[in-house]
Amino acid sequence: METTKAILVDITKCIGCRSCEQACKEVHGFPMETEAKLSVTALTVIEERGDRFVRRMCMHCQDPACASACLVGALKKTAAGPVTYDASKCIGCRYCLVACPFSVPRYEWAKLVPYVKKCDMCAERQAKGQQPACVEACPTGASIVGSREEILEEAQRRILTDSKYVKHIYGSEEAGGTSVFFISDVPFEKLGFVAAPRQPLPTLTANALGDTPTVILMGGALLSGLYWITQRRAEVAMAEAQEKSAAAQAGPMDKERS
Amino acid sequence: MTTTRFPRITLWRVIVGSIFAAGLYATYARFALGFAQSTHLTDPQPWGLWVGLGTLCGVGLSAGGFAIAAAVYLLGFERYRPVLRASVLISFLGYSTVIAGMMYELGLPWRIWHPIVMWNRSSVLFEVSWCVMLYTTVLALEFSPALVEKIPWVRVRQFYLKWHHEILIGLVMAGTLLSSMHQSFLGGLYLITKGKLHPLWYSPYLTTEFYLSAIPAGLAVTIMALYLCVRSLNVRIDVSILSDVSRVMAPLLALWGLFRVVDLVTHDATPYLFMWREETLSFWLEIGLFVIAPVVLLSRDKVRNNPQYLYWTCALVVMGFMANRLNVSITGLQASAGVYYVPKWTEFAATLAVVTAAVMAFRYAVLYLDILPKNPPQKRWMVSSAAAEA
Repeated sequence: METTKAILVDITKCIGCRSCEQACKEVHGFPMETEAKLSVTALTVIEERGDRFVRRMCMHCQDPACASACLVGALKKTAAGPVTYDASKCIGCRYCLVACPFSVPRYEWAKLVPYVKKCDMCAERQAKGQQPACVEACPTGASIVGSREEILEEAQRRILTDSKYVKHIYGSEEAGGTSVFFISDVPFEKLGFVAAPRQPLPTLTANALGDTPTVILMGGALLSGLYWITQRRAEVAMAEAQEKSAAAQAGPMDKERS
Repeated sequence: MTTTRFPRITLWRVIVGSIFAAGLYATYARFALGFAQSTHLTDPQPWGLWVGLGTLCGVGLSAGGFAIAAAVYLLGFERYRPVLRASVLISFLGYSTVIAGMMYELGLPWRIWHPIVMWNRSSVLFEVSWCVMLYTTVLALEFSPALVEKIPWVRVRQFYLKWHHEILIGLVMAGTLLSSMHQSFLGGLYLITKGKLHPLWYSPYLTTEFYLSAIPAGLAVTIMALYLCVRSLNVRIDVSILSDVSRVMAPLLALWGLFRVVDLVTHDATPYLFMWREETLSFWLEIGLFVIAPVVLLSRDKVRNNPQYLYWTCALVVMGFMANRLNVSITGLQASAGVYYVPKWTEFAATLAVVTAAVMAFRYAVLYLDILPKNPPQKRWMVSSAAAEA
């Protein structure tokens, strides 16, 4: 079985050289200017928070909200780890942008044929056995890639053996678990990380959607029942009215006879 | 001799003309210049007026058709039959505006058919899109006799109407189910925004809340449209039907208010009710317009039995409903988005033009088809001489 890959970003090791940003732009053929925020031409960026450098990118959730939201299935969680985007299916509804708990996907607002842009963890490179471009470019080992289990173990080992770390791996529980993890010596909320819900978000909608065929069967039965009752009442009312008028017609005749 | 006369310039024609001119520019801006030039949408605010007003309000305000059809055919309220065709038409035109609005809203509108062949059953939006497609078809079929009646060939007419009569109950049941499903699922769209949507609006029962609010809002639109028909299109209906519809509305609005309060209290959102923030004000505006004011007004006989008062009360309900949908889709997401979204004028213009087209279509349908019973036509001089005699 294919192993699921994951990335670990150790914020204590990042020196803010932006090699990851540059490598990402090079691989995608984007203009090389540095950008402050994620954009359609910057799928990963380094944000400065105090004296720390925080890398932003798609978290590649285990059970992604974007993939469950996408009505045509353009976004998919692959067995290898990345959440990929099939532009040929996309209709441009942008529900993925609404659904993402980390507000990662970007939209090409300025284009006449706009698509969604987000990091795909270099799925094609990884399929060829290469590392994601950003990880390969990192000179300090602040970003590393490996199988999800190994990466989680490594993160666990670091935060347990070194007391400077915050005792939480960001991404281990967020949105039900992701494939990109962060460890830090500064509390995550101070670095601009969102307090994402702990459960996989698609479960929230799965409950509401329920089982459509069952809903249709039950609802259909209920409505048919109502219709039957209505019909029956109309029939009864009609029959009663007929009886009454028959009696009324019969009445005067009886009188005449007597 | 034929004379071509230039149409008389009236205030309404000027207004409608300017709306279409603005809409035309908005259409040009959207399709020739793109989202960036035609909207104020951004990555943190990817859904704006076109979703909030065009889709959420459009679908919700079109709920009257299924409610009246179910009342007449499934529950046997024959009293409402005279307004049945009009309410189905209002719904059909409402859904048509939603679909037309989708063309602006979608980034790649020429792929609007993709959900038919590309399925993702776990997506709420997928279920919504299917329900809307199917229900619009159902509405078109429910309404079709009004057009078929005008076909001059008796046999075609009879064949169609016979066939239509046989499937009608099936259509009404399908319509009721489909409506109930997608009215709720529109609220379900926001279940996935847990953590982003403000606690005054996020609820695991968003589906129920959307369903419960759509029915009175749809009825309010139906009452308003019928009142306008009576006032300006020479339509003759028993206006007591309208006050009877409003009798159903008030308890539904109260029920929604109660449901909302219980929901907020059980989800520990009470502290947010009295914070001095924009969200709180928007929340109270919504509750005031959609629940408190109409419930108070509709409890008075004077309001219920006066068509004009009733009309304005229904206008409050519609505004309150719109406040609710815009709060869920825009206000409630503002804080987490970290941007302040004010729609660009072209966003308003496009929506307004599409809605105006639907209103005009409704007007012409009432004038030229047998939608509602009409007073016998009167010549101008007859009206004035009758007035003079009196």
